[in-house]
Amino acid sequence: MVDKPASDSAAPFGVALLPKSLGVKVGMLIAFTITIAAAFVIYVLFARGVFEATQRLTLVADNAEGVSIGMDLTFSGFPVGRVREIALADDGKARIGIDVPRRDARWLRATSVFTLEVSLVGGAKIRAYTGNLQDAPLADGAVRPVLRGDTAAEIPQLVATLRGVIENVERMTAPGASLQASLDNVRMVSERMAGKYGVLGGMLGGEDNARKVIASIDRANVLLASLNGVALKMDTVLAKTDQRVLGPGGVLDETQKAVTQANAILGEVRESLKKVDVILANAQAASGNVKAATTDLGALRAEVEASLRKVAALIDEINRKWPFERDTKIKLP
Amino acid sequence: MAFGGELIYRPRSWRRILRFAGFATVAALSPSAYGPAARAIAVKQIYLTAWQALPRYLLLGGLLSLILIEIVGTSARAYGLGQHALELTLRVLVLELIPLLTALFVALRSGAAVGAEIALMCVSGELEDSEEAGASPLHGELVPRIAAGALSVASLTTLGCALAMLLAYLVFYGFSPAGFAQYTRIVGNVFDAPALAGFLLKCLLFGLAVALIPIATGLEAERGKARSAPFVVLAGLVKLFVVIMAIEVLALVVKYI
Repeated sequence: MVDKPASDSAAPFGVALLPKSLGVKVGMLIAFTITIAAAFVIYVLFARGVFEATQRLTLVADNAEGVSIGMDLTFSGFPVGRVREIALADDGKARIGIDVPRRDARWLRATSVFTLEVSLVGGAKIRAYTGNLQDAPLADGAVRPVLRGDTAAEIPQLVATLRGVIENVERMTAPGASLQASLDNVRMVSERMAGKYGVLGGMLGGEDNARKVIASIDRANVLLASLNGVALKMDTVLAKTDQRVLGPGGVLDETQKAVTQANAILGEVRESLKKVDVILANAQAASGNVKAATTDLGALRAEVEASLRKVAALIDEINRKWPFERDTKIKLP
Repeated sequence: MAFGGELIYRPRSWRRILRFAGFATVAALSPSAYGPAARAIAVKQIYLTAWQALPRYLLLGGLLSLILIEIVGTSARAYGLGQHALELTLRVLVLELIPLLTALFVALRSGAAVGAEIALMCVSGELEDSEEAGASPLHGELVPRIAAGALSVASLTTLGCALAMLLAYLVFYGFSPAGFAQYTRIVGNVFDAPALAGFLLKCLLFGLAVALIPIATGLEAERGKARSAPFVVLAGLVKLFVVIMAIEVLALVVKYI
């Protein structure tokens, strides 16, 4: 079919044998071709986002493996940006430059999180997650870290961590482990508290100690009762003294002094009784320091005895210096 | 056959082709080469090479595209890579196969015819006579054919690629504008600046090879020896295939290695 016109054209200007509209047809073909080529170029430029205003987003990753130029940044599965450059920064981190069309930039906010996921099969994926679409919009030229999720790289790490956790649990539950010992101690203490002497036994660490404290308290009670007797005795002594002093022919002012002194002594006795009270309160409240309490009681008893001796001496003195005695002077110690 | 084989492997023949290519390219780029007579030859050549072949070319190209799109799409989906099917299709079909097939189609259909035409002109002594008469056969007869051949290859490649892209869209998305955004994004990914530049360069080289080599080898026919014409034409075709394959392989090596 081609050979025929070609052989015809062996004559230099054999165009006369060809259709008249040849020029028009060829012109149409060339015009159509140019139109399609131009449309294709414009379409490709449009597809590459040349006519679209974009903003730059730079993601910083530890490792840009799997990222390639032209890769999409997706949001909810829709592409909202395209990787334009990948560069290694001076700090050794990979910087992934992404162009985001302005009309899609509204999906990215200042609080958006970016992830780079590398699955076992298929290419890497860069995804954006925006929690709150009301947050401030992402600024042009923003630099954000990207969280890398590498399934293949994470498995050994996961296994190592899991092994550590399992070892810890094993160590905690092993016989003789500290957790076990702590639980045993708690059980022991609670058993003691449930025993005969209750919380006191639990606190003092045994029934013997608790029994000692209680015995101390009992002894203090007995002592208190004997002190009561002493006080009664003193009352009668004082009544007798009163009678004698107020009796006829008494040296009243001397007697008065003696009585004042007796009052002072009684004050001391009262102080002693207060101390006894305090010590008893201490003994009851502290329920520890049994030894100290006993020492205090000893000192108190000595003090009380001293006071009583003083009272007896005073009575002797009073008897001696009674108005009917020859010696009218009363000498105070 | 033996004669043709000698022609293919003779380095002098390749050197002559290269020299002729240099002269012809310079002449084709000078506006003075396109007088009314030259324009008439160019228009006729385009008509024969591109316009007459267009329906068959589009039918063949469309059918092949359709089959390849289906094969790539189906096998990509079978391997669970459906999302990459369209990209793969565009890369294989538009960037590689359509330009190559167009170059081969034009070479087969009109390369042989043009080579034979020039060889016969040499045998009949027409070119020598016109040269002796003071006319330049390079400008008058050869340059218009070369320019027309290159333009025809470019035109058919453009139309074939456009048809393949249209068919790819229709196969993947059907008659619906819904897939346009995704399709546009994939086209943007496939045709980045280096790919586009490589594609244009490759098409230009294919066009030049298809237009130049048959004519250059046709000129090797000797005056008065009609028997030399078939060997010359055959040698031209074989050289043309070698050059087309070399260009394609070189393009692939540069792009992927």
